[in-house]
Amino acid sequence: LFGRLTGSGKVLTEADLAPVLGAMKEHLMRKNVAAEIAERVVEGVGRELVGRRVAGFKGIKAEVRLALSASITRILTPKTSTDLLLSIRSKRASLSPAPYSLTFVGVNGVGKSTNLSKVAFWLLQNGLDVLIAACDTFRSGAVEQLRVHVSNLSLLGAVRGDGGSGRRVELYEKGYGKDAAGIAREAIAYAKENKFDVVLIDTAGRMQDNEPLMRALAKLVAVNSPDKIIFVGEALVGNEAVDQLTKFDRSLRDFSASSGLGAGRGRGIDGMLLTKWDTVDDKVGAALSMTYVTGQPILFVGCGQTYTDLRQLRVGHIVDALLRD
Amino acid sequence: MVLADLGRRINGALSSLSRAGTLDDALLDSTLKEICTALLESDVNVKLVASLRTRVKAQVKAALEADKTGGGRDAQKRNVVQKAVFDELVGLVNPGVEPYKPKKGQSNVIMAVGLQGNGKTTTCTKLAVYYQKRGFKSCIVCADTFRAGAFDQTRQSATKAKVAYFGSYTETDPVVIAAQGVEKFRKERFEIIIVDTSGRHKQEKDLFAEMEMIGEAVKPDMTVLVLDASIGQAAEAQSRAFKETANFGAIIVTKMDGHAKGGGAISAVAATQTPIIFLGTGEHLSDLERFAPEPFISKMLGMGDIQGLVEH
Ligand SMILES: Nc1nc2c(ncn2[C@@H]2O[C@H](COP(=O)(O)OP(=O)(O)OP(=O)(O)O)[C@@H](O)[C@H]2O)c(=O)[nH]1
Ligand SMILES: Nc1nc2c(ncn2[C@@H]2O[C@H](COP(=O)(O)OP(=O)(O)OP(=O)(O)O)[C@@H](O)[C@H]2O)c(=O)[nH]1
Ligand SMILES: [Mg+2]
Ligand SMILES: [Mg+2]
Repeated sequence: LFGRLTGSGKVLTEADLAPVLGAMKEHLMRKNVAAEIAERVVEGVGRELVGRRVAGFKGIKAEVRLALSASITRILTPKTSTDLLLSIRSKRASLSPAPYSLTFVGVNGVGKSTNLSKVAFWLLQNGLDVLIAACDTFRSGAVEQLRVHVSNLSLLGAVRGDGGSGRRVELYEKGYGKDAAGIAREAIAYAKENKFDVVLIDTAGRMQDNEPLMRALAKLVAVNSPDKIIFVGEALVGNEAVDQLTKFDRSLRDFSASSGLGAGRGRGIDGMLLTKWDTVDDKVGAALSMTYVTGQPILFVGCGQTYTDLRQLRVGHIVDALLRD
Repeated sequence: MVLADLGRRINGALSSLSRAGTLDDALLDSTLKEICTALLESDVNVKLVASLRTRVKAQVKAALEADKTGGGRDAQKRNVVQKAVFDELVGLVNPGVEPYKPKKGQSNVIMAVGLQGNGKTTTCTKLAVYYQKRGFKSCIVCADTFRAGAFDQTRQSATKAKVAYFGSYTETDPVVIAAQGVEKFRKERFEIIIVDTSGRHKQEKDLFAEMEMIGEAVKPDMTVLVLDASIGQAAEAQSRAFKETANFGAIIVTKMDGHAKGGGAISAVAATQTPIIFLGTGEHLSDLERFAPEPFISKMLGMGDIQGLVEH
């Protein structure tokens, strides 16, 4: 009873916090954090702060900001290793090395094929041989799009400054209308035979509610058990981020488990690639929504349309951008 | 369409208003709060939602004040609220501007612009199919020389759609291709000439300058902003920038077959005072629906017509 205003401090109550948290929530939504996630994040901050002693009214705002910043940092900080090169090298160093495979999945037009090509460029630069599997056999021009990237990349690879021995990059394609899971399997076998280090599997964009297409993707995963399933999402997306990720992850797990095929049963999303970073200014909330939903790390950030526009996530930058007025 | 989700929630809020007793400030506030939450979760711009809430409140207050002497029944008061909400929602998607109507017997040039991957190329073919079906001689000019495989994409989908197309594997200047293609098709008396352009964003000044030059070269009768239904809070700034540079006269919202409710796109309408003309509802060539604001909102709220709201 008498504890509430002892000394210079004040013990925070829910009523004190409500207006400040409400304003914070709106602030996060303006930064393009999904409404549901903004709500849950500020709720967590509220729970943490109720009962804490602060100095004066000005103190409440500062305290909330501090707690929010810590909470966002915690959410965004990867819980599993993001060192892709290390995983690839350790797999390649095993006794009977199979190629390391990554599958890129996501809704239509987010930048799967383009950023897959950027990842290929990065892998080539790091001395790895890359095979690209054209498993989007649906969208017009999808195969030719990858062919152009592969021919650009081989030119770039050939001028590497390490004695002229540029790394190999090749396209594995079977045209349109075929079963994507089968092409991926053939590509991986081809890569093994020809000693490629990495296979990058491009898939067709699909809406998360489209069950037949989600089942087909789950089959690709179940049959081929890729080392990493990377969800490609765009920084532009708003509240849909939550639904996209929840449903991609769940459909992949459920449908691949029930398909009864192969070693990749029950697999979900292993990491994210967030694209079009260069189009949103400081409205970077999608990064928070996506990591909150999956608990998986953002492995790369796409920030432009050329091969070098691929970055590692800088948690500090996002926290700053999200909190900035 | 999933917009029905949003409609259901707004409707839910409105009907709980009907079930409750006396309409007082607290009830009005809680109803509006629920509606606003639903709008925010549908990506409607945060500032727009705030002003919608203020305006509905003011309208309702004014109506109730005016009615004081009459001692209006609660049912009437609730109608006032419903009507105000409906009008505001329609206002969001209805800028009250008539879009360009293509005319037969002449060349109508339509230029598609927009952010990367939002569905321009797909929508260009859909539009060509749409107008072709209605007796317009239609064609597509691929003025995207940037994206890998862009011309192949146009070539393959136009071929599938049996629509004439123009493009080049060797020319690297989109302005040149656009001018050549449009001139050729004008000469051949095509009635609908659709110019597809590369994806771009406001942060890249050069890309915007290029869009302006293509516009000057082809003198479009109508420029269309193609916008992905899933866009969030960036919608306003991007669409404003496109409006300033390309002065588009219509919006097409794509990927409405997904789960997205398109609130970002609706915010673009409000920010640019430009009407939506079509919705893209799938990856196939016929997945294009005409758009009209009032039926759209009525459908969204699951109502037959507006009258249903005004009368009881
Ligand atoms: N500004 C910007 N544009 C990007 C970025 N990543 C990809 N894009 C562009 O987004 C558009 C779509 O990219 P794609 O790679 O074809 O997307 P996708 O997900 O493979 O598309 P579908 O296979 O059709 O589902 C292209 O114009 C890319 O250049 C990025 O980080 N920034
Ligand atoms: N589900 C669905 N997918 C669509 C719709 N419209 C376009 N798409 C898909 O979205 C992706 C991108 O479409 P594009 O037409 O290549 O987009 P764009 O704007 O031309 O892309 P850039 O030229 O790279 O800027 C493709 O996978 C299309 O099939 C739609 O209404 N619904
Ligand atoms: Mg692709
Ligand atoms: Mg295109």
